[in-house]
Amino acid sequence: MSAALTQREVDVAVIGGGPAGVAAAFAARKEGAAKVVVFERDWEAGGILQQCIHPGFGLHTFGEELTGPEYMDRYLKLARESGVEFDLNTMVFQMDPPTLEGSGKQASFWTMNPQRGIERVKAKSVVLAMGCRERPAGALGIAGSRPAGVYTAGTAQRFVNMEGFMPGKKVVIMGTGDIGLIMARRMMLEGAEVVAVFEIMPWVSGLRRNIAQCLDDFGIPYYLEYNVCELHGKDRLEGVSVVQIDKNRKPVDGTLRFVGCDTLLLAVGLIPENELSKMAGLKLDSSTNGPVVNEFLQTSEECIFAAGNVVVVYDLVDFVSQQGERAGRSAALYAMRKLEKGPRDFQVETSPEIRVISPQKLSGGEDVTLFLRVAQPVEGRCRLYADPGIYSQNLRYARPGEMNEVKVSAEKLRALPSDVNSIKIGLEVL
Amino acid sequence: MALLEETKKFLCVSCPVGCSLSVTVRGTDVLNVEGNTCPRGVTYAENEVANPVRTFTSTVRVNGASLPVCPVRSKEPLPLVKVFSVTREVAKVKVDAPLSIGQVLIENVCGTGTDIIASRSLGKI
Amino acid sequence: MIPVFRGDIPLQAQVKECGDYDIIIIGCGITGATIARELSRYKARTAVLERASDIPFGASRANSSMIHGGFDDEPGTAKAKFCPKGNRMYHSLSEELDFKLREFGSFVCAKGGQDERHLEMLYDQGKANGALGIEIVSGDKFREKEPNTASDITAALWCSSGAIVNNFEAALAFIENARQNGVDLFMETEVTGLLFDETRSAMRGVSTNRGNFNAPVVINASGVYADVISRMAGDDGFIIHPTRGEYFIFDRSVGDLVTSFLFSCPSEYGKGVTVTHTADDNLLIGPTSVQQTDRENRNTTPMGLDEAFDGARRLVPGIPRNMVITTFSGVRANTNTGDFYIKALDSPRGFINVAGIKSPGFTSAPAIAEHIGELIKDSLGDVVKLENDPAFVPTRKHIPRFIDLPMKERDRLASGDSRWGQIVCRCESVTEAQVVEAIRRGARTVAGVKLWVRPGTGRCQGGFCAPRVVEILARELGTSPLEITRHGGDSHMLTGRTKDPLLPGEPL
Repeated sequence: MSAALTQREVDVAVIGGGPAGVAAAFAARKEGAAKVVVFERDWEAGGILQQCIHPGFGLHTFGEELTGPEYMDRYLKLARESGVEFDLNTMVFQMDPPTLEGSGKQASFWTMNPQRGIERVKAKSVVLAMGCRERPAGALGIAGSRPAGVYTAGTAQRFVNMEGFMPGKKVVIMGTGDIGLIMARRMMLEGAEVVAVFEIMPWVSGLRRNIAQCLDDFGIPYYLEYNVCELHGKDRLEGVSVVQIDKNRKPVDGTLRFVGCDTLLLAVGLIPENELSKMAGLKLDSSTNGPVVNEFLQTSEECIFAAGNVVVVYDLVDFVSQQGERAGRSAALYAMRKLEKGPRDFQVETSPEIRVISPQKLSGGEDVTLFLRVAQPVEGRCRLYADPGIYSQNLRYARPGEMNEVKVSAEKLRALPSDVNSIKIGLEVL
Repeated sequence: MALLEETKKFLCVSCPVGCSLSVTVRGTDVLNVEGNTCPRGVTYAENEVANPVRTFTSTVRVNGASLPVCPVRSKEPLPLVKVFSVTREVAKVKVDAPLSIGQVLIENVCGTGTDIIASRSLGKI
Repeated sequence: MIPVFRGDIPLQAQVKECGDYDIIIIGCGITGATIARELSRYKARTAVLERASDIPFGASRANSSMIHGGFDDEPGTAKAKFCPKGNRMYHSLSEELDFKLREFGSFVCAKGGQDERHLEMLYDQGKANGALGIEIVSGDKFREKEPNTASDITAALWCSSGAIVNNFEAALAFIENARQNGVDLFMETEVTGLLFDETRSAMRGVSTNRGNFNAPVVINASGVYADVISRMAGDDGFIIHPTRGEYFIFDRSVGDLVTSFLFSCPSEYGKGVTVTHTADDNLLIGPTSVQQTDRENRNTTPMGLDEAFDGARRLVPGIPRNMVITTFSGVRANTNTGDFYIKALDSPRGFINVAGIKSPGFTSAPAIAEHIGELIKDSLGDVVKLENDPAFVPTRKHIPRFIDLPMKERDRLASGDSRWGQIVCRCESVTEAQVVEAIRRGARTVAGVKLWVRPGTGRCQGGFCAPRVVEILARELGTSPLEITRHGGDSHMLTGRTKDPLLPGEPL
């Protein structure tokens, strides 16, 4: 039994050992930070990618198509070889607001580990990489009973791919998020029947290749502008009611029907996990649900950085790793008191066509890629721009399921007239 | 009898862009591809018409590891029509830990010419 | 030592004798549980029969978790008699039995003259009933304490003795303490008939899906089925009108929108949706009130949820719908009489109705239980002797709530046992040790574990922890995860192993 709580000190602490965290830790070591520790609550690093056994990862990063575990294996090797330490089975359960320490700030948080109990960690800088969670059924307020057999797609994926269990035999999928589409195929390949996919929006929210490879290949129908409105069954799910909805999301008369199934998988959105960010007092963005960051992926607390799906939900893991590396490098520079912010303080604003964007602040300190999602699909020529006049690119389409990038050089930002203090990102249909 | 020209619709999955391809074919001959934004779209269309292939992924049961199943993949894409045969073949296999990533678990699965390999390492417990 | 969990008697096709008792209690909601605990003071042998797989199951599970002050009931009714007394008892019982009770107080909110007259009526009633700590305050004074409430609230009735309870913990605490003191609990045991002596003038026991339980005293605490059981005994003095109420639970991060329990006055908008900060810091709104014939229908409906939400927004306009973590509904055992129906029958002797225990039933339950003890002593002393049991232990401890412990104590636990250091539920910081202990104390299902120690009650609703809870249940019960159910019956969480459907001989 420990008499006093153990205190530890690290240079760069990375919270979360998924793709963002591992990339961040690797980059922090590469940049020269001495003690870089990844705090991971699971028994192994890799995060959600360990259960994403399907291919499609790493085309940008490694130039080939890898499965989730393979992608992580490569990154974990890089991180381990670079001297990153991994604290597994270690949950960060509390974070304190940073305190002043010499010329900068210092972060502090609390961890728990089954062998070592509770420890307090002080870090010169932190990279938040906790990822996201799935929106559960309860949050949707679906009417009806509360039977067994209603899972988020990710929970089902965990059961099937990691634990070897089938969550059901006859499946309906609600939502066209990527994990739902992936699980449609996965359940088919394990001998289950996938009846249909229903999407409340007039467009698919996942990647198009997943429609082709996961639904079309297996003849699974999908219905847009359909709501799963009621659950039936006392013990196990026996079916769902679905109804077509109009532009105002009101049910269309005469379209209500019963679909028999014993399982409903939900792929209706991902929510960044920012409980620690809130404890640390970080400023959050109400549209991304993640921390407000600048081009260094630095949050409103200068010693805390953030990357990956905790900041904004990305479409491709390659971007998550890229951003992880950027945050890791920035955190290392900060820990060594070498991070130099730019001279400016721009607020990134968006036109209504843009739903989310990150970073939200720019200082002109470094070239930056802004990641954004449009609010609704534009299936035709359109122009993505950053005003005043620092970026313009014509696109052949823009879809909410796929992120768009806006690359802006630090030089261009610094050269803007001194009375300009905001950058406006917009999309116009051509 | 001469084969008729017809138009087939595909979603190109060579990359995340997912171009909607409109492909004019006669039998298995691709006459024209529209909607692609890069040359991979043409290759994709030709393959989809002649012999669509997919990277196959699943799990195999494993003894003596910290997980009861290990993720696997086909080393190379295999014919789409073979996917259900392959998934049954993979279901029959039970392997012993330890496994290392890339290790061949089934050679030339269902005569497809490609192997089923472990896509992660799993230690023995 | 806790007696062995008695849920393991196999279901019988033929009549089987399951045991001889002095007293049988039908139903282990808050009413049955508090009576069981009260009777466990005595040497009499008592058994509780519960048809569900988890406790609490019926209205005791799904309610507003309010410990009412006692001003809402017409003087002279049973409700008015038991509610203020029950309120006072809860404040000490929560310490004795270690369940969460938070003394937040309550407000009844008035909007204008008619409502204010209603407050005055409630105030007078409260005084007559002996409710403690009531006072009418101005709208401004009210908003000082509850700044997020509607600006058109003109006055409020404050009741400092109003409290919020963790209703799962409370029901579990009463029945667990009863079991510690020798009461037997039989789960998934449904009463199918009553057994009488030859002349049908005295009780002999009950028949169930598991067989017969013999006892000269049978207490009917069967909630929404109370009139069905009562009619078996020949008393048709009341009819249950099952009344469904729908609720929302919101994320902890908006729990602080209110700091107490808010009632609205009855109006054309409904009988009174409430908004409360729960014992575990969530925000709870509801209920609606829909009378139905079905005793089992606990469905939520789009209309009902909208009604609850709109009603709550009349009190707290800023409640954000996107912070909902789940919705649920409960069925209350309202009666045609409007009051509790508590009565020992003259014939068959030994049958006692404790029925229609609807709001403020949860509050009144301990006081009713005490009354039942006296009633048995007074009128059934020749049938069963309630002799004090010197071994009676009035206290029990809940499983430590890791999330609420001081850091040092958490470290002490985590350093001593790795299971205390292993978080299972991230949202509510529930450790493996808590789950294991819940199972040791009787939880058998995923829902049961949730009622005991809260994994899955948080914002991810079990997305991350459900697989872990299934695994731990299977391990601790020595069974396969395939046998684990969500809430008993056929509510299996999993339908098989991967690969099996693909193997030869298996239908695809």
